[in-house]
Parts: sequence; C-alpha cells; structure tokens
Amino acid sequence: MAVTTGLSTTVFGQDTLPKLFRHVVCERGHRVAMREKDLGIWRAVTWHEYGERAKHVGLGLVALGLRHRDVVSIMADNCPEWLYTDMGTLAVGGVTNGIYTTDAPRQVEYIVNDSGTRFFFAADEEQLDKILEVRARCPELVKIVVFDTEGLHAFKDEQVISFDELLELGLGYGAEHPGAFDRMVELARPDDLAILVYTSGTTGPPKGAMLSHRNILFQIDYSDYVTALHEGDQQLSFLPLCHIAERTVSVFNPLRTGATINFAESIDTVPENLREVAPALFFAVPRIWEKFYSAVALRMRDATRVGRLAYHWALSVGARVAEQRIAGRRPGLVLRLLFRVADFLVLDNVKRSMGLHRARGTATGAAPIAPELIKWYMALGIDMREVYGQTENCGLATAMPADRIKLGTVGIARPGTEVRLSPEGEILLKGPHVFMGYYKNPAKTGETIVDGWLHTGDVGVMDDEGFVRITDRMKDIIITAGGKNITPSEIENQLKFSPYISDAVVIGDKRKFLSCLVMIDHETVAQFAQERNVPFTNFASLCRTEEVQRLIGGEIDRVNRQLARVETIKQFRLIEQILTAEDEELTPTMKLKRAFVNRKYKDVIEAMYAEA
Amino acid sequence: MADPLLTVTNLETYYGPIMAIRGISFVVPERSVVTILGANGAGKSTILKTVSGVMDPQKGTVTFAGREIQGMDPDRVTRLGISHVPEGREVFPFLSVRENLMMGAFTRRDAAGVGEDLELVYSYFPVLRSRAEQRAGSLSGGEQQMLAISRALMARPRMMLLDEPSLGLSPRLVKEIFEIIARINRERGVTVLLVEQNANMALHIADYGYVLEVGRIVMEDTCARLLEKEDIKEFYLGMKESGVRGTRRWKRKKTWR
Repeated sequence: MAVTTGLSTTVFGQDTLPKLFRHVVCERGHRVAMREKDLGIWRAVTWHEYGERAKHVGLGLVALGLRHRDVVSIMADNCPEWLYTDMGTLAVGGVTNGIYTTDAPRQVEYIVNDSGTRFFFAADEEQLDKILEVRARCPELVKIVVFDTEGLHAFKDEQVISFDELLELGLGYGAEHPGAFDRMVELARPDDLAILVYTSGTTGPPKGAMLSHRNILFQIDYSDYVTALHEGDQQLSFLPLCHIAERTVSVFNPLRTGATINFAESIDTVPENLREVAPALFFAVPRIWEKFYSAVALRMRDATRVGRLAYHWALSVGARVAEQRIAGRRPGLVLRLLFRVADFLVLDNVKRSMGLHRARGTATGAAPIAPELIKWYMALGIDMREVYGQTENCGLATAMPADRIKLGTVGIARPGTEVRLSPEGEILLKGPHVFMGYYKNPAKTGETIVDGWLHTGDVGVMDDEGFVRITDRMKDIIITAGGKNITPSEIENQLKFSPYISDAVVIGDKRKFLSCLVMIDHETVAQFAQERNVPFTNFASLCRTEEVQRLIGGEIDRVNRQLARVETIKQFRLIEQILTAEDEELTPTMKLKRAFVNRKYKDVIEAMYAEA
Repeated sequence: MADPLLTVTNLETYYGPIMAIRGISFVVPERSVVTILGANGAGKSTILKTVSGVMDPQKGTVTFAGREIQGMDPDRVTRLGISHVPEGREVFPFLSVRENLMMGAFTRRDAAGVGEDLELVYSYFPVLRSRAEQRAGSLSGGEQQMLAISRALMARPRMMLLDEPSLGLSPRLVKEIFEIIARINRERGVTVLLVEQNANMALHIADYGYVLEVGRIVMEDTCARLLEKEDIKEFYLGMKESGVRGTRRWKRKKTWR
C-alpha cells in the first residue's frame, strides 16, 4: 500500500464512510480487525464479523424505525459494540454521536434533546440508569439499546432492548428485505452529515459539531503522517471515542491502514495493556505522557547507584542524538554507535517497561505539552510528534513534519490546508477539513466560520517556515491589573513537567499578581512524603503537610526562575480533593477546566489575594 | 492534649516483595476505642501484627507510651502492655479453658492479681466459668472468641488489639461481644484498637475511625461523622439509593469526601 499524500477526499476510490467500510470488509474478510480482552484472554474479531455485526445493527435500527439522518447516541467506554454501532448507523444513513460515560444524567438529557437523538445505546446498567432517569423529558427518544445486560435479567421495559435482540431484529429484516442494505450504503453523499461531536463547553452548554463524510475521509487520507501502518500492526484504544482524535485514530484510520485495534480493559489498566499490545503507533494526551515519564523518574530514584548512572549516561547519549535530529542533521558514526550501546543496555528496557519498544511513531495532542517532555521521549529513541487541531476541523490541523522538528511548535499545516493568523493573532484554518457548522446553531456557526476560515479561538504565532506556536486559548489570556498580557498555559505546562504536579491553573486576571491552584500527583507526592517520614493519613492531610507545601513551593520557584518578573507566581494553594473524571472541574481527558476551577475555588482564590 | 498512647508513623510492611501497608500514620489516644475499617486485603491485620511485633516493619515507627516498639519481639511488646487478639481466635485447642486463660497471664508474677483477673473475666463471660475444665477446642466459635478476648485480658493490658472479633459469629453474639468490649474499655480503662469488617458495629462503639484501602488511609474522622459519609454508607454499611429501576447493582466510584 502506497503512503498517501493526505490530499485526497476519497479512500480506495470510495467517497463516503459506508462505502469505504463495505469495501474494506470485503477485501479483508477473515483477517483480524480488533481485539477485546474477555476474562483475561484477548479475543479477536475479524473484518467479516465486524461487517456482519455492523450491518445487523444498522438493519435492526431500520426495523425499529430509523430514518435517514436520524441521530443515534452511544454512551459507552471503548468496546467493539461501539464500533459496530458507529459503522452500522452510518451504513443505513444515520448519524452517530458519542456521549462521555462520565457525563451526569443532566448532561445526557441536554445532549439527547439538543441532537434530537432517537436511538440511545447504553453500555450497561449504570449508563442505562442515567437515560432512564431523564427519558420522560426526551420526547424524541424511540428506543434504548443496552450492550451489556448483566444485572438486568429481571428488568422489563417497553423502550429498552438488548444489543443481541437488536442484532436479531437486523438479521430478520435483512432476510425479509434482500438487497436493502446495499441500497442504503449508497444513500449518503460526501457532503452529508456523518457524525456529531459535542465539544465540552467550558463556557455555556456543549455544542454539536457537524462533520461530513468528506471531512472524515480527507483526514483518513493523512493517516500516515507519523508512520505508515499496515495490516498486522497493533494499536491500543483507550481515550474516549467521543473525542475526535481517538475516533479518527481508532475507528476511521484503521479503515484505510488495516491496523488491529486492541481495546484497553479500563483506563487503570492502560500501562499493562500497553505492554501486552506493544503498539506500532501510539497516540496519547500529554497527561498520559507525563504519567509515564513520572513513573520512570520515580523508579530511577529507587534504582541502584549503578542503575542511575547508566540511565543518566544513556539518556545523555539519547539527548545528543535527539538534538542532532532536531537540528535536521544525521548523527555522526560514533554517536550512532554509542546510541546503539545505550539503547541495548538501558533505553530499550525503559521503552519495554512502557510498552513502546515496538512503536514506530507516537503522537501527542489535544492539550499543550512541555517541550522538555517530548525531548525526553526523543532521547529514548521514540519518534514523538506534537499535533494540533480541534473537533471543528475533524482532528488534525497541524503536525510536526518528520524531517524538520521545532520543539515548542505544533508543526506546520497539514497538506491541502492553510493556516493564517488574524490581526489579533488568532489561528485561522481553511481546507476540506473545516466542519459543516454547529448542529441547529447557525448563529454560533456564523461566528466560527467566516469567509471559509475556521476561527479556532487559539492565539499563536507563525514563523517564516510556517511553524505554528500556540500561546493560549484566546479567552484564557490573563490581563493583570497592571495591564500585562500573560498566557497561563505556558506557565502551567512548565509546572506540569514536575513529577509532583498533576495539573495547575494559573490565576491573575485583573489582579495585582499571579497565583495558582495546584493538583498534586497523588502517587509521587505520597512516595515523597513516605521517603521523608512525613506523617499523613488521607489526601487532604498529605496536601496540608509542611513538607509537601514546601515541595510544591520549590517546584513553583523553579518555574518562576524561568519567567519574567511580572509573570512569577506569588501565591499558591493545593486542591485538597482527589478529582475524578465525574467532577465538573475536569474534562474527560482529566484536564482542569479553568472556568469551573475559578468558580468552585473562589473562596480559596480570594484568600490568596486577601493575604497578600 | 496528652500524648496519645499509641502513635504509628509512616509504617510500611511487606510480605516478601509485596507491600501490604503503604505508609500509614494514625494515633490512638489513651482510654479510647479506635477502629480501622477496610475490605479484605486492605492491610488491617498487618497493621495489628506490626504493632504487636509479630511482623517487623520495613519503615516507620510505632510509639507506645512514649517508647519506640517497632521490631521488638512480641513477648516484650506484651510485657509493655499490649495484648493482641488475633483473627480467627487461635485458642490452644487441646488445653482447657482455664489453662488457656493462664497462658494469657504467662508474663505475670503476681498470683493474687492473676486470681482476681480470672474472676473478672469469668464475670464478663460467665459461660467460661462453667466450661473451665473443658478443652478449648470443644467450645463453640462464639465461646472461643470470648476465650481469646479473656486470654488477652489476663495480661492486664493497657491496650488491646482486636482483629475482627465478629468474624463468623451470629448477629446476637456479635452484639454481645461488642457490648463487653465497650464495657472493658469503660470499666477497666483499656484502650482498644479494633479492626473490623462489620463497619456498623465498629462505628457504633468506637470514638474515632480510619478507613483503609489497599494499604493506604483514605479517610479519617470521628465515628459519628463517618456514619454520615456517602461512601461509608454505600460501601461499608450497604445502604444505597435504589435508583430509577429500584434494583441498582452497579457501584458508584468511591471519592472519599
């Protein structure tokens, strides 16, 4: 298979997802499409089975009354059924929409009604309860389908059926209407709405971004940007499929590459699953990369003296190789040989411990990352590329090119698209990847797409070679009482590079000085306290110990030294609760939400400014 | 406030390569009842074994009455005034009830005092008097538990470590035993560190509680306040909202707030 250019809006000559799906299912037949762990054993699903089940889901929905362009919502963690439902719905002309499993019933109600969802797929009993709680206020909802009916055997409800029953319905419908499915597959046009992706609104309610078949196929055509994948290559799927990045990497791109998707058992088992799967390509958000790095840093501190020396030596060799690569040069022969030795003795083991020893490429995106972190991975010999983009441009907008690396930037515009800065410094995008608009919200659409240019809401700069550096979200920029503009995320990224800091929010809009709220990394800080015999009981008491306060203060000072004086953080507080994805303060990818944090910790913030 | 009778700081204990207690700190004030709650394998028994000297900690200190006792042999710990009632009772099955009780007093030289205490435990558990010459192995589970507690009392301890006294007992017997533990604490001034899975009972007799999950303390508070916490109610007391269908099976995520 030839490496693609990323310029086409068709894949294998197919111009919609249903046609592409039908084509590849037919081509690949009994080769493995995905794997799921069941009672400790990885079980394979072939492309043929994938195709059959998707078809029965689609026909089952038609039997239940699905009409062209009806919205189908899926509320489940990543699993094969998610993909069957996604492809099945699209195949019969429906529109799919994912809902985060961490959403509360109130949010489910909003999205179901805003999208006019007629069919709702719930992962299990827990998600079913959420929709049952609000269904009386969802007039357009027709049926609820449950993937896993464990614990529901005694439950009978007119509106609820199991996934297996749906497949049966589809099988029956297919037998009675031969040829119907193939006609439906032909139904969609390239510019039709294919999927809805709700963007988590940090201000106001979430909005449904509409993505067309053309948007998605255009991005599929660029799936080789980090490394070209082939059948037999493994991938691990664990980030939420509701997120456009994971959807593209784990559902859409494999349609072209034929790589096998392995579903992680849960977010907690990602490190183990990663070691088992050893993927060829691994995409993750900065939080995951930070965690892996912290784990290695922590392990090295417990290592023997010899081990530590070897690690530092090997890493310094790796760093020199990485520097050559960043400068666009091929390392000299001696350095290359040294790296071989370092890799054999140390670096390969570090990669193995993370499950990245077979990764030909990795990518990071969806949130800002500290350049030092990318450099660390590059020093290990891992090809890591930072990418940038958003839901509204169907994922990828810019990516770091293979042959020219500028750390601290998010690379250059993906082929076939343009990037431009507005006079205010806002990043604007144009190309076949720009979305159709927000669902039933022409006003917002009009604000976002102006003359064909997508307004990203991100502020940045671009150099003469087209490399884009993102400074911040436009609305996040802090203007201090002194009138100085400050981009908080740059400071926050520096803070997050500390193994002890999981996340931080810098505050200071219309204030005399900057302060910040810090979420500590429970594992590493607990170990720190333990090593120093600092007594603590629960999370709050750990946060309150003098030593931990001093530790975080020290980390902040370290960052302060790299900042201009007006940008230094003068006060800080720790968030004394362990936050989970269910909490409103966090996004599903475990990032602190600035607006919520500012509101929820108002008293703590005021106290910092009252004291000073 | 006076120094607590028992102070545990940053305790780490391993079973071979496996860390059972991952850095634990807590205090037990004199004359109080403190409970440690936790599921199977949380590390509760390991804490008691480490305090009583059956196991040695890798790290951390155990201070009893102002003296560091971690790593001391169990018999010395007993002499200092800590009696351990192990999980599963562990009475000597082929010795008589009376002999079992006397084994509890092996550290003592004051025959008169031992006699008094024998009377005392018989007054707490009259059934033991009537079974005094019977082999301990022939006692019922509840009677064996009474015997184990009595045997510990025979050392005239300042502090008792009780490891799941309710294990395998009928609800009525559990209630009885807990009442007597409360009495021993009240009347004899014996400080009690109680490890339990029966959270309801433990929280009602103890003053202060710690919740242990996989080797770490996740929550601490007075028992009155712990009884009000959502997570305690759902995960330790088995109370939960039934949800829309009336038969909720799935569990909320624990947040320990």
